[in-house]
Amino acid sequence: MAVYRRSYKPYTGVLTATWWRWLVLFRYSRRNLFRSKVQTVLLTICFFYPLLCLAFIYLAHNVGFLAQIGVSGNLISIDNTFFFRFLSAQGVLAFLLTAFVGPGLISPDLANGALPLYFCRPFSRAEYLAGKSSVLAITLSQITWIPGLILFAVQAGFAGPRWAWNHLWVAGSLILGSLIWIAILSLLAMALSAWVKWRIVAGALLLAVMFFGAGFGQAINAVLRTQTGYFLNLAYLMTEVWSNLFGIDSEHGISVADAWIALLLYCGICLFLLMRKVRAYEVIR
Amino acid sequence: MKTFWWRQIKAVVRLELKKTFFAKRGLWIYLVAALPVFLFMAYAMAVSREQGRMTEMAHEGGKELTYQDLLAVKPGMTNDEVVALLGKPDVHFYWTEHRHTSAQRIEDILHEKYNYSDGQHSLYVEFVNGKAETVMLGEGSNLIRDSIVFAGVFQFFFLRLGLFFGCLGIFMNLFRGEVLDRSLHFYFLAPIRREVLMLGKFLAGLIATCTIFVTSEVLQTTAFLWAYRPSVRNLYLYHNHGLEHAAAYVGITVLACIGYGAFFLIAGMFFRNPIAPTAVILIWEGINPFLPAVLKQFSVIYYLKSLSPVDVPTPPGMHPVLALLISNSNPVSAPVAVLGLLTVALIALCVSSLRVRRMEINYTTE
Repeated sequence: MAVYRRSYKPYTGVLTATWWRWLVLFRYSRRNLFRSKVQTVLLTICFFYPLLCLAFIYLAHNVGFLAQIGVSGNLISIDNTFFFRFLSAQGVLAFLLTAFVGPGLISPDLANGALPLYFCRPFSRAEYLAGKSSVLAITLSQITWIPGLILFAVQAGFAGPRWAWNHLWVAGSLILGSLIWIAILSLLAMALSAWVKWRIVAGALLLAVMFFGAGFGQAINAVLRTQTGYFLNLAYLMTEVWSNLFGIDSEHGISVADAWIALLLYCGICLFLLMRKVRAYEVIR
Repeated sequence: MKTFWWRQIKAVVRLELKKTFFAKRGLWIYLVAALPVFLFMAYAMAVSREQGRMTEMAHEGGKELTYQDLLAVKPGMTNDEVVALLGKPDVHFYWTEHRHTSAQRIEDILHEKYNYSDGQHSLYVEFVNGKAETVMLGEGSNLIRDSIVFAGVFQFFFLRLGLFFGCLGIFMNLFRGEVLDRSLHFYFLAPIRREVLMLGKFLAGLIATCTIFVTSEVLQTTAFLWAYRPSVRNLYLYHNHGLEHAAAYVGITVLACIGYGAFFLIAGMFFRNPIAPTAVILIWEGINPFLPAVLKQFSVIYYLKSLSPVDVPTPPGMHPVLALLISNSNPVSAPVAVLGLLTVALIALCVSSLRVRRMEINYTTE
């Protein structure tokens, strides 16, 4: 058929249901994630600590074996502190993974002016953001609360239903603590990459926000003899919230409520910045 | 030939300086350099306000007080005894608490708060039913003590984070920025030796970082000293080594720019993504106190810490591992530190020159 005879034909295949259209973005973005060897290796490393924790749980319930290797049975205790440490370690790895994965999600679309191609389809901005952030959210879930719950289930299997019932709140803390950290990391990484538009710089900037914010916060505390510097330290705020969720005693520079408010405020600011940048067109004056 | 190379270096420096100082991508570096200045400006304002408040309190009080007078107040003294000793309080608050002592009894408890000041220190005394329960003697701002805080901010924030990330932004951009802008081939096609180009770019980065961060350091020192009376300032500057310390801080800033600059120049040539080298250098510099003596020498912070004029004391009760991070173990003498840092930077520049000779551009992989 001659080219001029070709005319517009609408898509006749099966349409994805409106509620699940954001999953299309997830599918394609997720595929890109494993094209990088560094990211694949990093993701693999993220599972080492949960495996180690699994071994600890097994050992804690095999007193005979521990006695054979000359270790006291009381040395390993599986309690709220154990799960707090697990989440702290995985939280650090989640941050590193975000520094590599997060900036590449939105910045190429913005840098190459690809957003009109998304938004000329029946696809809202919220769905676009949900699709892009779901890549990080699901990947980070795989290394934080999902292995955490598996560890909890294994421990419950060994210790019995009484332990599981008494410590059910720990499972809730694992999920809530992980979700807030995932939300912060995802929104921060995407907001930075949307505003910088340069994937590599956005990654370095994420690193800088974390370390520089913590350092500047401490400097404010030292120079102005105040505690308000902690509000700039995301890691500190998160540790405060986690300590409270897991019932761990910690040195309170600021109250837990303040830490929660600050974290939610950070999420709000990042979301606002994202919504300002993610538009079908941009007027450049 | 050397004159020709020198002219080429100057031309590259001229071109690069414009790009470095006015690049949109580098605007955040000015913010990084300005943040500690804002911090010390806030400090100066807080100290001035505090000093003004205490001077006002001291003038308003009925009796001229000394530090010894303030020290004489102890818990358990009655308010009459305190008034007899220090006179009528400069600031006086009181309220009555209705406390349930038993099921049906309510007792009225009188709380009073007296504030005194000698112009430099403030005393807060809280009385419960006429007896001093809490006595707090607030130390006023002290330049010598606060100079240790300044040293702490310089060592742990300005050097390790501000200057570190500033150098990362400028020096990694020298080659990586050109590759991302797809403009490096213009330099490579010009009749200029690549080593000369590399040196020109390094010098441009060095001039930019030194200008930005030395200015920041000078402004920080000025803001820090601004709040104090001229007599106190002169005493610190001319009799308590303040001027020497300020000069040392400027020198350390320049050396840090050279050291970190050389490291990030190599990183920009070897790595496409700066996250990995940044994280590695940050961790390497962080774990420096734990490294063996030989490995310590291959870092920048080791020499910079040795040159720091003020040692930051470790707070009491700090974990020994964290204390080690703050402490300056096995410091080297100043000439050795300067020479060592310049040698490390020179080695880094030699590696960079080897790399740049074999560098190939492939914009499609970016």
